[in-house]
Amino acid sequence: MSQGHHIIPQRVLLGVFGSLIVLTGVTYGLAQINLGVLEVPVALAIASTKAVLVVMYFMALKYDNPVNTLTFAVGVIFVGIFITFTLFDTAFRGDIGNVSEQTVREIQREEEELQRRQEALTPEQLRVAPADFENAEPDPEAGTGADADRGGSSGGS
Amino acid sequence: MATDTATAPATTETDHDHPAHLEHHFVSTEQQFDSAKLGMWLFLITEILLFAGMFVAYAVYRQWHPEAFLEASVTLDQFLGTVNTIVLLTSSLTVALSIHYIQKDEQSKSFWSLIATLALAGVFLVIKYFEYTAKFEHGIYPGALFDPHGAKYEPLANIPYVAQFFSIYFVMTGIHGVHVVVGMGIIAWIASRVYRGHFGSDYFTHVELTGLYWHLVDIIWIFLYPMLYLV
Repeated sequence: MSQGHHIIPQRVLLGVFGSLIVLTGVTYGLAQINLGVLEVPVALAIASTKAVLVVMYFMALKYDNPVNTLTFAVGVIFVGIFITFTLFDTAFRGDIGNVSEQTVREIQREEEELQRRQEALTPEQLRVAPADFENAEPDPEAGTGADADRGGSSGGS
Repeated sequence: MATDTATAPATTETDHDHPAHLEHHFVSTEQQFDSAKLGMWLFLITEILLFAGMFVAYAVYRQWHPEAFLEASVTLDQFLGTVNTIVLLTSSLTVALSIHYIQKDEQSKSFWSLIATLALAGVFLVIKYFEYTAKFEHGIYPGALFDPHGAKYEPLANIPYVAQFFSIYFVMTGIHGVHVVVGMGIIAWIASRVYRGHFGSDYFTHVELTGLYWHLVDIIWIFLYPMLYLV
C-alpha cells in the first residue's frame, strides 16, 4: 500500500445523503406546480445534480484514480451523442424534402388550406362544365331542383 | 508501485512473498485493486449504454407524442415513486458505509450495513410489486395486451400512443428491477464473505466493486423517477 485508500468520512457520506434527500423533496415539490416549458429541464438538472453527488462521493471518483473519471466521462459523452444525434433525426423528420425549396410541413399546410377552401365552396360555385348548368337549370321551377339543392348544401357543409 | 513488493514483504502469509489475495500477474495489491476497479468502471459504462438505448426511446417517443406521455404519467403513483427513490438513496448510503467500515476493519458494522442494503432493496421491490399489480388490475400492460379499464384509466383508451408510454415504463423499470435483483444476489454473497472475515482494510476490492454496481442502479433510478413519475 503505497498511498493507501482514501476513507470517506462518515460525516461526508451522511451530508451527501442529506443533500440527495433534500433534492428529491425539491424535485417532488416542483412537480406539483406547473413550470411550463421549464418542467423537464429543471427535473433533469436536479436529477443530474443528484447523479453527480452519487458519482463523486458515494462512488468516490473525487478521490479516485483519474483514469476512472476519464472512463466514466467518455461513456457519458457517448450517451450525449447517442441522444442528441438520434433526436436530430427524429425531431425534425419530415421537415426537409428533396424536390422543393419548401419544407415538407409548409407543403402540407398549403395542401390543407386548399382542401379547406374547396370544402367551403357551394355546389353552385363548383359548376364549371355546360352539363352542370343544364342539369341545374330547372331548379327554380320544379321540386326536383329543391331536392338537388338540399343534397348540394348538405354536401357543402 | 513497483517498490511495494520490495519494501513490504512483511505481509507474507505463505512461502510466497506476497499476501494470499494477490494474484501472481499483478505487481502489488494496489495495482490489482486499480485494475479491478477500472474493469468495473468499463462494465458500468456498458450498463449505462444499455439504459441509454431506452432513454433514447423515451426521448424520441416523448418528443413525438408529448400529450400521451403527460396523460399517462399522471396515472403513476408519485407518492410510491418518491418513497422508492428515498429507499434506494438510503440503500446507497448503507452500501457506502459498508465500504467505509471495511476500510476501518470494522467487519461487523460492514456486514450489517450490507444487510441493511439488502433489506432496503427488498423494500424497493415490494413497493414496485404493488405498483405493478395496481396497474395490471386495470389492464395496464405493456405492448399489445394494453386494455385500460376502471375509472381512472378508462380515458386512456381514447388517447393514441398512450400504450407506448406504458411499454417504455414497464421495460425501463423492469430491466432496472432485474438489476436490483442481481444486485441483491451479489450483496448477499459479499455480505456472507464479509461475515466470514474474507475482507479487511488491506483487501476489500469485492465490497468496493459491489458498491459501485449498486450506486449505478441508484443513478439509473434517479433519472427514471422524474422522467416517468414527475414530468
